Amino acid sequence: MSTNSLPQTVTVTIDGTPGQAWAGQSVTAALVSAGIWPLRRNPVNGQLRGPFCGMGVCLECEVTINGRPGSRSCTAHVTDGMDIRTHTEPLQTAAHG
Amino acid sequence: MADVMTESEADVAVVGGGPAGLHAALVLARGGLSVVLLDESDTLGGQYYKRRAEQLTAAFGDFRPRGTELIRQVRDSGVDCRTGTLVWGAEDGGRTLFTSDVRTGALGRINTRATLVATGAYERSLPFPGWTLPGVVTPGFALHLATMDRVPVGQRVVLAGTGPFLLPVACALLEVGARIEALVELNHPYRPGISSIGGALRQPARLAEAARYLLTLARHGVRVEQGSRVLAAHGDTQVTAVDIGHEDGGVWQLETDALCVGFGFRPSTELPRLLGCDTELDPTGTEQLPVVDADGATSVDGLYVAGDCAGIAGVHAAGVRGQLAAHAILRRLAPERARVRVADLRRRRARALDRFAELADRLYPLPTTADIPDATQVCRCEGVSAGEIREAAATGWNDLHGTKAATRAGMGPCQGRECGHIVAALAGRGEGTAECFAARMPIRPLPMAATIEGQEVQ
Repeated sequence: MSTNSLPQTVTVTIDGTPGQAWAGQSVTAALVSAGIWPLRRNPVNGQLRGPFCGMGVCLECEVTINGRPGSRSCTAHVTDGMDIRTHTEPLQTAAHG
Repeated sequence: MADVMTESEADVAVVGGGPAGLHAALVLARGGLSVVLLDESDTLGGQYYKRRAEQLTAAFGDFRPRGTELIRQVRDSGVDCRTGTLVWGAEDGGRTLFTSDVRTGALGRINTRATLVATGAYERSLPFPGWTLPGVVTPGFALHLATMDRVPVGQRVVLAGTGPFLLPVACALLEVGARIEALVELNHPYRPGISSIGGALRQPARLAEAARYLLTLARHGVRVEQGSRVLAAHGDTQVTAVDIGHEDGGVWQLETDALCVGFGFRPSTELPRLLGCDTELDPTGTEQLPVVDADGATSVDGLYVAGDCAGIAGVHAAGVRGQLAAHAILRRLAPERARVRVADLRRRRARALDRFAELADRLYPLPTTADIPDATQVCRCEGVSAGEIREAAATGWNDLHGTKAATRAGMGPCQGRECGHIVAALAGRGEGTAECFAARMPIRPLPMAATIEGQEVQ
């Protein structure tokens, strides 16, 4: 396996805080590298949730990417200047009960 | 909706660009047929031949060069490769497929003369208290992070569940510098004392690859606990500790910052089931599989199934089954170009690979769902507990579908892909009667806003 120089580092902003990630990494990888696991609240019971399946099936890793809510972080790739927002604030209302 | 759809035609549509779909598309295109290859992901390869991003490949090398080569051959053969395209519905035995562009939501309709479903599999999870905590993930997620992104899922990782797949995941984690606190295997597939040299599987000749992984784990001093499983995960905002129980009754706790738990794979059968093909119980007794002949033909004329969605058998079997199905489609649509002898050889190889898959099923049996505690959440999306499901099923008039309607289990955005097999087991009427949630359109979540915008433009 060839090991040239490390991949290009770009700036991503996670919840308003700028940080570094490798261009092309999954957005989930950038979040895990930054130590950020809880990404959202389950809309029914308000529990914190984070990435689970890593292949676009469970939808637990949805965040807002460049203003687009409901973006799966596991299937999105890091680009320079990307703005990532998690949604872990407590829910005002739950969908049921 | 039909008014805004982009229509296209092809001799054959292949749904899924993993090993089975790629091998099939190549045979079909080289046989002179027009082929559309559809994949929801933004790159071809599926899970096994998943592509490392260009920038990371330049730095770390090509993760699976065989996949790169296969994808190049498919593109060179003239296959119309449509990545970022999900199939959310189908009609007419699969000769009409409804698609959506993952980025824009733009709708499409593809008309074909035959369709091959190669939608692969996803991981089988079993619920336990705390499994919804952030930091509890599937082994496949940890593998993708390590191999694609070169990121360790944690610094102190616990791997658990059952199956040979846990072994390569463990090795990939070691390679990116994670420490593995323990590999917790439910069954006893490995010889006792594998930390000594010569430790290997009970069937070393058939599972030599697994034996190599075991030696790597032994060299790193990874603790392998057989006959053990995760009882519960603990943590406030994310996982910090896990309780492990041994079958002899012993319980101990490990500190961890990432817990990866998986019990093999579930076939992704929504599309053939939507089209009404006959199904049968799989060898684990927990899934309904499409009934297929040796070439992957289903009971629905013109609809074929290949790869793990026709029964979990791994990457090599997927490739061979994809080729077999492609030859069958060639015999059907272009009989003058079909190469029968090639197909005969492939069939023999497919049978050998199936026997290997049966061996794996015997070595790594699944646990019972009977002892899932009532308070444990089963449906992650709708937050439905095992107790609520049992209660609904016990009313007597609720079958699986009634239980779903009564509890909302399986109605969330994952559409029952995570919990469906558990709800079915809990609501089941006994061994060997596994039902599954009905497949309905849309079989994948659709961006409704984009769909509505599309109509307004019209």
